[in-house]
Amino acid sequence: MKKYNYLYNHRFIGSFLVLSFLHSFLVSFNTHAQTTDPDLNGMRAIGTPANPKVPWTWNYYMDFAGYTKLAQELSKKHPDLVKVQSMGKSAQGREMWVITVSDFKTGNPDRKPAFWIDGNIHANELQGTQFAMYTAWYLAENFGKVEFLTQLLKDKTFYIVPSLNPDSHENFIYKSNTTSSSRSGMIALDDDGDGSTDEDGYDDLDNDGNIVMMRRKSITGRWKIDCDNPQRMIPAKADEQGEYEMLGSEGFDNDGDGLVNEDLPGTYDPNRDWGWNWQPDYIQRGAFYYPGTLPETQNAKKFIYAHPNIAGAQSYHNFGGMFLRPPGAEEDQSYVPPSDIAVYDLIGKTGEKMIPGYKYYILWKDLYTVYGGEIDFIGLNRGIFIFSNEINTSYRLFNKSSTEGRFTNSEFEEFDKYLLMGDAYVQWKPVKHPQYGDIEIGGPKRNYIRNTPGFMLEEEGHRNMAFTMLHAYHMPKLDVVEVKKRDLAGGLTEVTATIVNQRAIPTHSAHDLKFKIERPDYISLKNAQVLAGMVVENHDLGITREQKNNPATIEVANIAGTVSGGGGGGFGGFGGGGNAVKVRWIVKGKATDTYTIEIDSRKGGVVSKTL
Amino acid sequence: MTKRLFLSGLLALLCGFNVVWSQSAYNNHAQLSGRLKALTTQYASLASVQSIGKSTQGRDLWVLAVGKNTNTKKPAVLIVGGLEGVHLAGSEMVLQMAEKMLAAANTDSVAKLLETKTFYFLPSGNPDAQEQFSAKLKYERSGNGTETDDDRDGRNGEDPFEDLNNDGIISTIRVEDPTGTFVVSKEDPRILLKADPNKGETGKYLVMTEGIDNDKDGAFNEDGPGGVHIDKNFTFEYPVFNVGAGDYAASESETRAVLDFLYKMNHIFAVLTFGPNNNLSEAPKFDPTKALKKIPNGPSAKDAAVGEQVSKIYNSRTGLKDAPALPQSKGNFAQTAYYHAGRLSFTTPGWWVPKTEAPKDTTKKAATPAAAAPAGGAMPRAGMMGAMGAAAPANNAGEDDLRLLKWADKEKLSVYSDWKTIQHPDFVGKKVEVGGFMPFAKLNPPVSYLNEAATKHLKFITELGQQMPEIELVNLKTESLGNGLSRVSVQVLNKGLLPTYAEIGDRVRWVSRVKTELKLSAGQSFVSGKRLYLRNALGAGEQEEYTWLVMGAGKVILEAGCPTAGIKTAEVVLK
Repeated sequence: MKKYNYLYNHRFIGSFLVLSFLHSFLVSFNTHAQTTDPDLNGMRAIGTPANPKVPWTWNYYMDFAGYTKLAQELSKKHPDLVKVQSMGKSAQGREMWVITVSDFKTGNPDRKPAFWIDGNIHANELQGTQFAMYTAWYLAENFGKVEFLTQLLKDKTFYIVPSLNPDSHENFIYKSNTTSSSRSGMIALDDDGDGSTDEDGYDDLDNDGNIVMMRRKSITGRWKIDCDNPQRMIPAKADEQGEYEMLGSEGFDNDGDGLVNEDLPGTYDPNRDWGWNWQPDYIQRGAFYYPGTLPETQNAKKFIYAHPNIAGAQSYHNFGGMFLRPPGAEEDQSYVPPSDIAVYDLIGKTGEKMIPGYKYYILWKDLYTVYGGEIDFIGLNRGIFIFSNEINTSYRLFNKSSTEGRFTNSEFEEFDKYLLMGDAYVQWKPVKHPQYGDIEIGGPKRNYIRNTPGFMLEEEGHRNMAFTMLHAYHMPKLDVVEVKKRDLAGGLTEVTATIVNQRAIPTHSAHDLKFKIERPDYISLKNAQVLAGMVVENHDLGITREQKNNPATIEVANIAGTVSGGGGGGFGGFGGGGNAVKVRWIVKGKATDTYTIEIDSRKGGVVSKTL
Repeated sequence: MTKRLFLSGLLALLCGFNVVWSQSAYNNHAQLSGRLKALTTQYASLASVQSIGKSTQGRDLWVLAVGKNTNTKKPAVLIVGGLEGVHLAGSEMVLQMAEKMLAAANTDSVAKLLETKTFYFLPSGNPDAQEQFSAKLKYERSGNGTETDDDRDGRNGEDPFEDLNNDGIISTIRVEDPTGTFVVSKEDPRILLKADPNKGETGKYLVMTEGIDNDKDGAFNEDGPGGVHIDKNFTFEYPVFNVGAGDYAASESETRAVLDFLYKMNHIFAVLTFGPNNNLSEAPKFDPTKALKKIPNGPSAKDAAVGEQVSKIYNSRTGLKDAPALPQSKGNFAQTAYYHAGRLSFTTPGWWVPKTEAPKDTTKKAATPAAAAPAGGAMPRAGMMGAMGAAAPANNAGEDDLRLLKWADKEKLSVYSDWKTIQHPDFVGKKVEVGGFMPFAKLNPPVSYLNEAATKHLKFITELGQQMPEIELVNLKTESLGNGLSRVSVQVLNKGLLPTYAEIGDRVRWVSRVKTELKLSAGQSFVSGKRLYLRNALGAGEQEEYTWLVMGAGKVILEAGCPTAGIKTAEVVLK
């Protein structure tokens, strides 16, 4: 409020001055306001918007109501930049929000090259929601302030889906869970084949919201307490007597079948419910009946198919610090041909610099095989360049990679001790167990290990967001860079246009071209009487290829990018850069006439130029 | 001259009419729905109908349930037709089987079967495509009502068929052209074959389906209305990027409706699909290199043996011979039902062109899949821009065509229309003729021929029903060990002639395993043994023994079985 009064006063004074002065004054005032603003009681830190229209803090994890509110606030305060719509409802009836961010004044956002961001398909992986929302907020609040982002939103669109699994997202936040549970959706299934569903889940013995480990002193136990770190249990050495037995995660045998925690909520994997190389549960654990059994993935598929302008995509997961690219299965390697790998390499290798500790990996090769995963669906069914980031890595604890494995080092315990002051663990404590008797429970709280601690969350979010900006920047940017007109005999004119893609990503990936996933790009000459049209394959040598049908609109299979070079349609790579296409029309009229050239590309947007 | 033209036109009309007439009894969706409803009225206590979902264009996918007090605990068989839209005969046979089964409901063998089993009949899995048979313009259609861009040029359905000779059907065009690759067969001039350079043949005709090249892309009728071929849209070996397969597996509402029904009805023991695939006249053999792979594509050893057993039932009960080989096709329902849903799955065209003379070679290679499969869109997307239209004859179609013509000639059926010259805007100044095989003729005989086929297949399905697994609790014993301690033991036996379910079902999460449970009364407790045991499928005649020690007197209930083999209970009183 204070700020607006201030602004108003200046405007009031300004109205007495000449117009040009007012203008320059306000401009200088705006610049001034960004760096030293009274609301801040200090100086704006570089990289963060000062006085955002929607103030928000970034060191906690939002629930459904929280991210719904933030999305709606953003669209209310930035009506020309942010729009919120639902792509459909989840299994339990929650809206699945898509936040569209673009400069709505510079064209239909659904015709600009668009970047898809989703998070939280595994609902315990909360950072995805957070980073998706941070991206929407950061873009909206920086428009008009940071030149790079302003231009990006003029050229491009972002479709941001904070959660692909909102039901389970709420379950993870509000119900008792382990660090890894609530990965599934919430549709009840019979896991143990006894005819009942979800009848033997975890039991929160101390009602603290955290499902931790159970241990019991035992004369036959093979575990002992790590004396350097009493929180930790380690196996007794071969020549040692153990002190404890480990009894698994907190819970008991609810249904008296002799098994503990054997029928948990859900227990399927929404990220095995997609339509590329889908395999059943006995091959790919977590698969449901068929790709798209779940309403959540169906909704996303419908949205993605209804938005063929999506030219780049990002999916957020945790854990491990990775930029994963397709394919998810070794046998699908041929679907990511070398010229597409060149694009992935450009972005992935830069990413390794942007987020220390993250590695650029191939999903099947460097992580594990995934059949029916989302990134293959977007990457291979749709031919869109996509990364899946595995957020958070133990590297970020002490800025070094441990030489020991995850379960043989004590980094998480030490980080808790020195940097979190013991906040991250449930200290071992005695409880009564209905079947095991006197036991103790303890271990990492559900929001530790996989989910990033609060003080690091904004930073990791910003770095991941920046990685998506790099990717989004490299979506096609088409331009008519040159139009040459030449009088021919008989009242005819030859019009030759050169179209360039100024970015790394082609309008069609090589994989897309091979399987004709997306239609060709159309380059049209408007308001002219076109007699013939052709692609100029080599300008200098005069080699052209005529298009007999509908010559006013030349169809080119691809407009290559700056990295993939001449790969693809056979039109690039001649007479200049590999990222250019040259087309020619023979028209009735004179060279002095005015012509409009329009490029209509599904992934490259609509660009027109009148000459 | 005028008179001659008129006469030839009349002849063409009559010729067309003859074929249309002879096949006119194939139902449209409204007629099919009517027949199903009539059955539920006539046999109200034995038959009920439900819609399991709708096609893209809003037609119901009907399932008729036949049995006494049908419920999801009684083992069931699902009989499916019409997933392949061109295969109208399949739909008709499924309907006739239901009608015949209900008509015979009072005979001993069928009555007994309907007491213990449920039969689900799904006559038309792709009603949008099948409706094309009854449409003003008749052509072979496999695709549903979903809009598709078959040639991936950014325009949906921009190059459909055209009825150039106005006879209401889409047949074939041949154009005399030096670049043609087809010649007339020496065995029967009605048959067009690919010229074989090894035989010194050079092509004479370009061959394509009836229509013009609307979008001037060099391909004829490559992107007509509709749609996704439902029997290419299932999940097993889904043929991604193939024309007609859809954007991804199970993208279509029809596919999902059929799969949802099968997966949720976990008492469905076996599936019989009528379509252009055949694993019944000859069962697939066990092949470890296929069965033991990470992603298996051959039946397990036990399931292959079951397939062999069922194949014998099929051949003996139907008495059918000379069945075409027709290997399984990618993304079809029959294979998905086995490999993904974990059920025994059988498939047959049900009817095929009989041999009309003593064959020189008795092996089954005569009919090839390419010929008997429906005409449309078998080519992968990347290679479809050639000069051929969608229904160009396959290279090795000659033998099948010959078999069809010989049979049709003998039966005096018109399956062929003579070539008639027309004017074609894309071939000005060239000799262009319309004619050739009538659409639907290769897979669909006049309906009167299906009566016998339906009867034969009902015999097969009845015998299959009689051999189905059945759980028995045998040698149930209780021994009192004194002081309130009792031992209960039982053998859970499958006394049927088939296993409780396909062996692959033990790998599939959604197939219920054989469950044995001892339910105690208040005040009783287990001293030894678990309340509940799950085990893998019990083969024919296989049993497992269970023993419990129970403390406490009174009633205990024993329950054992699985939905595909039935569940039995027994009650004993402990002292």
